[in-house]
Amino acid sequence: MGDAIVGVVANPLSGRDIRRLTTRASVFPTAEKANMIQRMLTAFHAVGVQRVLLSTDLGGISAAVFRAIGQRRSHDAGWPDVEFLDGQPIRQTAQDTVDAVRRMVAAGAGVIICLGGDGTARVTASAACDVPMLALSTGTNNAFPAVREATVAGLAAGLVATGAVPADGVVTRAKLLEARVGDRTETALIDVAVSTQRHVGARAVWDPATLTQLFCAFAEPDVVGLSSILGQLSPVARHEPYGVAAHLAPEAEAQVLAPIAPGLVMPVGVRNIERMRPGAVYPVDARAGVIAVDGERELTFEPGERPIVRLRDDGPRCVDVPAVLAASARLGLLRRPAMTLGPVPVAGSTVRRNT
Amino acid sequence: MTETAERKALTREQLLDAYRMMRAIREFEERVHAEFATGEIPGFVHLYAGEEASAVGVCSNLDDRDTIASTHRGHGHCIAKGVDVAEMMAEIYGRKTGSCHGKGGSMHIADLSKGMLGANGIVGGGPPLICGTALAAKIKGTGGVGVAFFGDGASNQGTTLEAMNLASVWNLPAVFVAENNGYAETTSSTWSVASENIADRAGGFGMPGVIVDGFDFFAVHEAASEAITRAREGAGPTLLEMKFTRYFGHFEGDQQTYRAGEVEHARAELDCLKRFATRVAETGELTQSDLEAIDAEVAATIDRAVTEAKAAPLPDQADLLTDVYVRY
Repeated sequence: MGDAIVGVVANPLSGRDIRRLTTRASVFPTAEKANMIQRMLTAFHAVGVQRVLLSTDLGGISAAVFRAIGQRRSHDAGWPDVEFLDGQPIRQTAQDTVDAVRRMVAAGAGVIICLGGDGTARVTASAACDVPMLALSTGTNNAFPAVREATVAGLAAGLVATGAVPADGVVTRAKLLEARVGDRTETALIDVAVSTQRHVGARAVWDPATLTQLFCAFAEPDVVGLSSILGQLSPVARHEPYGVAAHLAPEAEAQVLAPIAPGLVMPVGVRNIERMRPGAVYPVDARAGVIAVDGERELTFEPGERPIVRLRDDGPRCVDVPAVLAASARLGLLRRPAMTLGPVPVAGSTVRRNT
Repeated sequence: MTETAERKALTREQLLDAYRMMRAIREFEERVHAEFATGEIPGFVHLYAGEEASAVGVCSNLDDRDTIASTHRGHGHCIAKGVDVAEMMAEIYGRKTGSCHGKGGSMHIADLSKGMLGANGIVGGGPPLICGTALAAKIKGTGGVGVAFFGDGASNQGTTLEAMNLASVWNLPAVFVAENNGYAETTSSTWSVASENIADRAGGFGMPGVIVDGFDFFAVHEAASEAITRAREGAGPTLLEMKFTRYFGHFEGDQQTYRAGEVEHARAELDCLKRFATRVAETGELTQSDLEAIDAEVAATIDRAVTEAKAAPLPDQADLLTDVYVRY
């Protein structure tokens, strides 16, 4: 059996969009993203992960981790070998995340952790193939990634990557929404919204008056984002085998107050709520506009293009952190002496540069 | 409730104006680039080509109450704020008919009647000026907003940071637009700016900081609209960071040995004019012939500006003692 490998991809731009201006959304500092990775490295080492593949960026995250590795003292907790995925152009677009995740998949990563918001999780999912992913929140609208201590998430990822906790029952497949305009396709992990806006512009959606339709893979009553609109009217859990869709109109009879973005609780008019069945095709009614996936405008469409939306049951495989640690407790994996853990590598850490 | 920028669709006239302004800046800069090579233009010029969506996306939200402060790379800001291109060209040629009677040149073009406080040879010189005009607007109750454009180099200057602090402390109607083209002269911002995102610095001054795709007119217009409305309504200053690339060197004559391939990529894939033209054609908001008509009109205007500038007289000895003091 080869090394137990975990990939970590961090989006340097998450938490920087216009919602800082329109809604006072949180700012997630680069330094904290780098700190989260360092806390994870400690956790990975503790459960026997030997190699970590880390995305590189121009935002200072990988640089801060690189610096931290060089500053470690002999009595610091051990870290696995960290391999920086450099040597390819950094475009400062979502393509950087795709490239890094593909390299992690090709290198045999057992789990891929992504640090970002819903947008980062969506892009990671699109490239992760069937490698289990674990999304941690450092973005704006976080319905999909969890707000969770990185150390604990690191333990869970490590326990799955080493095989100490079998994937069965602790890695679950998420649903996925697919929006299609002609031959252009975008996927969403939570919601697809149709806006009468004509341009992608500043990407974020923060004015419900522009929305005409909403499709949700899941709609939980306690999340923030557009899915919260249906979360209060017709909740659907992540694990349920169907989704929910509705038409939105300011004058609709049913009105709901929904936290559609951090700092924005807005009245939204809703009608024609219906269950979405996996595989069925749902047409977009608007003649022209923009389709937003997970709250970000991505796909424009013009008269005559007739976009469609489908719910799919073949979304990314996701690590269920509470389930992994519950299994670990059952199996006694973190007891000392360990019951079934493999050899823990020696302390210390080296940098492998992959050029 | 205020109508959000997201909901407010741009009218046909606004789209035509935006394209005309961006095209005028591009044409102006490419012509200055060509003319500078002949040796006829005195002094230095720093060209704005590639960054048009920033100046136009921001200034298309402004009116005569509002003021802007610019940088050494100021031609785009001047044009976007409505300064006459013929007077600008004459100024660059150092002629009597120029915006400042030929005594300022490229780096000091100003037109107070348009709220354009001036291009500025001092890196970080603009933001403190904007605190002054924003304070005046606030005290007089004009509803005016002050906008300071500055670069990634100026983002490290004390003047810029002090101005952001003051604007927040006094809750001024100000907007700070960091135009991050990646290089302070020839030094990459990855070597000189400690926080990679200039927008991140906003938090330290208690104002929102937003990153904007500076190649996308629609993204800039929307973000600037929100920031300017916010300032106008008394909710305080905002920092917007435009990320993009300048197409020419730091100044004309810069050999640009510090970068390779970026400009070709940006011109081919990211160009603000191309993206704008493609987008409005897709939506059917403007036609190809609308755009071509503007291209022709702008080309003629710039051509005329150059011909007139070359023919205009230089300042003479008697002009030495005029314009020494300016009354605001």
